Formats: sequence, structure tokens, C-alpha cells
Amino acid sequence: MGSHAKAWLVEDESAREMLDRVLTERPFLLLPPLHRVPLRVGNVVELVGPSSSSKTHILIQAAITCILPKLWKGVSYGGLGHSAMFIDLDCRFDVLRFSELLNHRIMEAANGSSSKVGCHQKDSEAQFERMKPYNEELFALCMKRFLYIRCYDSSEFLATLKTLHYRLQKEREVHGVNVHLLLIDSIGAFHWVDRGSSSFPLEYDNRKSWHLQNVSEAVVQEIRRLLLVHPMLVMATKAVVLGNKYSTNELTWNYRKWSAVDNPYSRNITSSDQQLPYREYMPAAWQSFVTHRILVRATDDDLVNGEHQNNSIYLLKWLLPPLNSLDKFTVRDTGVFILS
Amino acid sequence: MARLANLETEYPVLDSTVRNFCASHGIFSVEDFLIHDLYMLAAFAEQNNSSERLKEGIAQVLSIIDDMHQPWLNGMELLEDAKRNKHVFPTGIQGIDLLLGGGIRVGQLTELVGPSSSGKTQVCLRTASNVARNHMVLYLDTGNSFSPQRIAYFLGKTINPSSAQAKNQFLQKVMSNISCHSVFDIFAMFDVLHQLESYLRCQDGRGGCQMRLLIVDSISSLISPLLGSSSTQGRALMTSTGYLLKKLAHQHNLAVLIINHTVGGEGGYSKPALGDSWKCIPHSRLFLSCDRGSNNYNVSILRHPSMASGKAARPSCRGDTVSSSHGPYQPSG
Repeated sequence: MGSHAKAWLVEDESAREMLDRVLTERPFLLLPPLHRVPLRVGNVVELVGPSSSSKTHILIQAAITCILPKLWKGVSYGGLGHSAMFIDLDCRFDVLRFSELLNHRIMEAANGSSSKVGCHQKDSEAQFERMKPYNEELFALCMKRFLYIRCYDSSEFLATLKTLHYRLQKEREVHGVNVHLLLIDSIGAFHWVDRGSSSFPLEYDNRKSWHLQNVSEAVVQEIRRLLLVHPMLVMATKAVVLGNKYSTNELTWNYRKWSAVDNPYSRNITSSDQQLPYREYMPAAWQSFVTHRILVRATDDDLVNGEHQNNSIYLLKWLLPPLNSLDKFTVRDTGVFILS
Repeated sequence: MARLANLETEYPVLDSTVRNFCASHGIFSVEDFLIHDLYMLAAFAEQNNSSERLKEGIAQVLSIIDDMHQPWLNGMELLEDAKRNKHVFPTGIQGIDLLLGGGIRVGQLTELVGPSSSGKTQVCLRTASNVARNHMVLYLDTGNSFSPQRIAYFLGKTINPSSAQAKNQFLQKVMSNISCHSVFDIFAMFDVLHQLESYLRCQDGRGGCQMRLLIVDSISSLISPLLGSSSTQGRALMTSTGYLLKKLAHQHNLAVLIINHTVGGEGGYSKPALGDSWKCIPHSRLFLSCDRGSNNYNVSILRHPSMASGKAARPSCRGDTVSSSHGPYQPSG
């Protein structure tokens, strides 16, 4: 008995060793423009913003970073080499655009490494041609790591989540790939339909009715369970309407003018100022599940980038954890670029 | 939703033991399984006398649930489907085709927004006449604005002057490809769309002339009456309509063109009707306007999958570059 008890006290690994192991298996992710706060598996990130504020684009760039390999045939792509799952609740995903962006990133990484060697113009063109079959092979490899599904209503969404565990297990056994990223676009898509789908009085007392709260709780529960067995980073977009002083909605909105926030050095952010500039409509079950929240919106400014390219500038603000800064970024085919 | 009792004939595992156990937890149909915690249920089943039976029953329901969602695809499969099926149809109007990068795309919803008499119906008729040469078109008309004469006029302009009989035959053939239905409320439209869905499910895969274009002129006249200030039902119906259209577009390879009108916004400029909840539905949105004085028609992009921009018109570069988001167009040219 004594020897058994002592066996419990023998250490497996020191804290340093454990930290090394965890950091290699579950690295921190710094995805632009979300570079201020490092993200890890198990985090649930919510990208909030009005329509057309590049939220889906940020998700897509995160997916591309995830599916690109770290190093392939001598070229460093800086990716994670894992699979990414995209649950499209908005049903607006454009795969042709996605493949364009992936190709741009592959070519940019390939060109980047060749330019480091100091090739001349002709040499780099010849090298590009030589690289083409490799690029296509890599493209196919990456596209196969991108898993996509669309859901047309909440029942399909819940059915997907409930059967996801078995699918992931199968993927792991058959292909040996791990899914590192779960993307949901956008989480509030069926909000109105679920709210409207009401509460017909059900004949039995203990029967749960199909309304917004129950559906949301079921979704959160399924994702939580999934994260226990398949640790992933969850990123979801949510479309909101930003409040402004001309809003004539009869519901009283808590809002804060953007101008007060534009000054990054303002010290006016007190605890009473924790009012959101938009109306939160997701149920409490989802709200408390989210660990990180970011607000993005488009500005009216343009970054003039040559004669015909006008890239919009977007503003980003961390709401959870609340950071006192506004990031400006712009979106281009090769990724997201921070301006300030 | 299927009650468990009705599933017994097909899946004999779901016998009365399983059903009674489920009923004791408040589960009477497959839909109830979706909002219940299946792991907890399995744990309860473990403690029950006939735990093997119950666990088989739960496994069976899980496999039924697995059929309830769309299939998972990987990127290559998606891309293949897009390249094979999701073509682009030119509208026949140069300015619009330029802005859209070729035309309206199969599998996507394209919305035309504009005040009255900005040429929206003309664009629809033009597009219908273009697509109807080789494919079938369904035109849902809410305001009696469909004009066969106009379609004949557009077709007449583009065919070579051959014999009157050949011309007539051609007109007959193309016009018979266009079906026009009048719908005056949203439930009538749901009816038509569900019938369309059953029809397309039979048609897909068979050769011959396939339906490739669905036009709704205009969707705002069907949905606006439902959107009151405090009603959630109106918005729920609006969202359901949007998703039904998206489903038809993607699964049956249709291009969908919808017309929306404008309402007054802040600052006096006009904005698209149907509010903010509608913004998430269409893939592409074009804003049409007409300057009455000079009779200049203008089109600008509000939203397009290839544009990371949320704004309306920008200072125009002359319309020869595809990246301009604003340009003139001729609805009848």
C-alpha cells in the first residue's frame, strides 16, 4: 500500500516540460487582424459587425492560414497544416473566391522565398513556371483539408453538430488529420426564424419546445462537448446593427458614439461605460460561451492603392477582453494588412 | 417531424421499450432528440434494465439524424461543383455585366435595388430574354409588370433578319421557355416555390432544357406588408423566404434575380427596403438609379462576393475597368 501511494508522488514531467509540450501541440495563434490577443484552442471568438464589414473574409483568411502547411518542399508558408471546418449558416460562401485567395497566398509565399535568393526577373518567371505543378499539388492538398457544410435551418445545424464527433473521429482515423479550427458563419442566422417558430402548446409537460432559448442552449452544449474531445479554436461571425444617433427604433438601445472611442488615449472608459454600441440579440447561453469578442466595421475611407484599386479601410475593436485601442486594417487578396 | 411511433415500421429497433424510455424524458419525435442532450440520455439508458436495447435505439436515431443535414464536402469537391455547374449568365446589359464580372451567377441571389422607374423590370426582362434562348426561366410577377411584347422586342433586336417564319419559330421557342406566374402574397409565393422544388427534383439529371433562372419582381411588395414594428413573424417569414431561394439556387443550379425597392433613409438619401435583417440574404446587391433630367441610368454595387466593400457608389472611373463599382448602363440598349 505504501509503495502504491508513493508511486502517485513520482513526477511525470516538470512544469517546464509540460509547458513545452502544450505549447508545441497547441500553439498560440496570432491571426491578423486579431493579433493583439493570442488565441488558443478552446477559445470561442465572436466577430461582430454590420453587414459587409469583412467578417467572413477574416474567417476565410484564418481558414487559409490553418490549412496551409508550415513548410513544404523547402518553402515556408507559415500555416498550421491542420484541417479547418466551415459551417455556413449564411449560405453565401463563394468557393471560387476562396480558391483565388488560397492561390494568392501560395504564390506570395513561393515568390517571397524565391525573391530572398535574389533572382532576376527572368529567373523568377522561369521558377514560377517550374513551381506551377508544385503549387497545384499544394493547392489540392490544402483544399482537401477544408471541410464545408451548409445548413438551411436550425434543425440541420443541430443535426450537424450532433454527428460531428463521429465524423471527426472518422477523419482522424482515415486521413490522420486533426481539425484545429471550427468556423461558423454566422451564428445569428436563424435568430428570427427560431423566435418566430413558437410555442405551440405541447401536450406533454416534460417536452421541450423548439424555441430560441432551447435551440441556443443545445448548440452551446454540443459545441462544448465537442471541444472536450476535439480541442479546436471556434470563430463565429455575428451580424449586428450598429446604433447611431439617428436610430428611430422604438427599443431603447444602449449605444456609445464612435467618436468617443476614436481617441485611443481617452481615459473615459469607466465601468459604467460598458455599453455596447450595438444591440445584443443572442441568448445568454451563447453570450456566456463566448470568450473573445471583436467588433469590426467599415469606414468611409479608402486606401488608394494604384489607379484602379481602392481598398476599404476597416476598424477593429476588441470588446472582450476590452482593449483601449482601435486597429485599422485593409483587406487585399493576399490577406489582411494592419495599417495602424 | 417524424414521431418515433411512426418510425417503428422502418426501423424496428425503435420499439415500445425505446419509445417509452424516450417519452419519460420528454422525447416524442426526432426533432426532440435534436434539442436534448444525447450523452445524458445514454447515461440514463445505462442505468436502465434494457440498456442494450436502448443504446441501440439511440444509435439508430443518431444515424437518422445524420441523414438530416447536408453532406460534408471538402474544398476540391466544392470547387468542382462550382466549375461544373455554377456558370455565369450575362444579362445582356453591358454596364451591369461589367460590374458583376460577367453576369449573374448560378447558385447565388442577385438583388436589384432602386427607386421606381429606375429600370429594374427592364433589366429582368432583358435577362429573361437572354437566358430563355437556351434554358427555362420562371418569372414571378407581383405587380403585373411582365411584358411579353418587351421580351419579343429584345429578342427581335438580336436575331438576323431571316424569313418571317423562322423568326416566328424562334420567338415561339424562346417565349415558351419563360413561365410567368402572378403572385400577390407571400404564401402564394411559398406555394409556387415548393411546387418548383418538387418539379426540379424530378427534372434534375434529365437532359434537355433545364430551368436556370428565377426572377422575383418584386420581393419587397410581398414582404414589406409583413414587416411591422413589433412582429417577429414578418422577419421570420422574410428569412425563410431568403433561405428557400438560396436552397433552390444552390441545389438546383438556378440563378436568382430579385427586385427590391427603396425607402427613405437618414439624411434624405434612399436606402434599400426590407431593413437590416435582409442584408444578409442576397449574395450581390446592385443599386440602380435614374437621373430624370439627363435620362442617365446608373448602377453601383452595394455588395459583391469579390469586393470587400460595403459602400455605395464611388467616384467613377470610366467603366472600362472591372474594379470600378459604379457605372452607367442602358436598360433598353
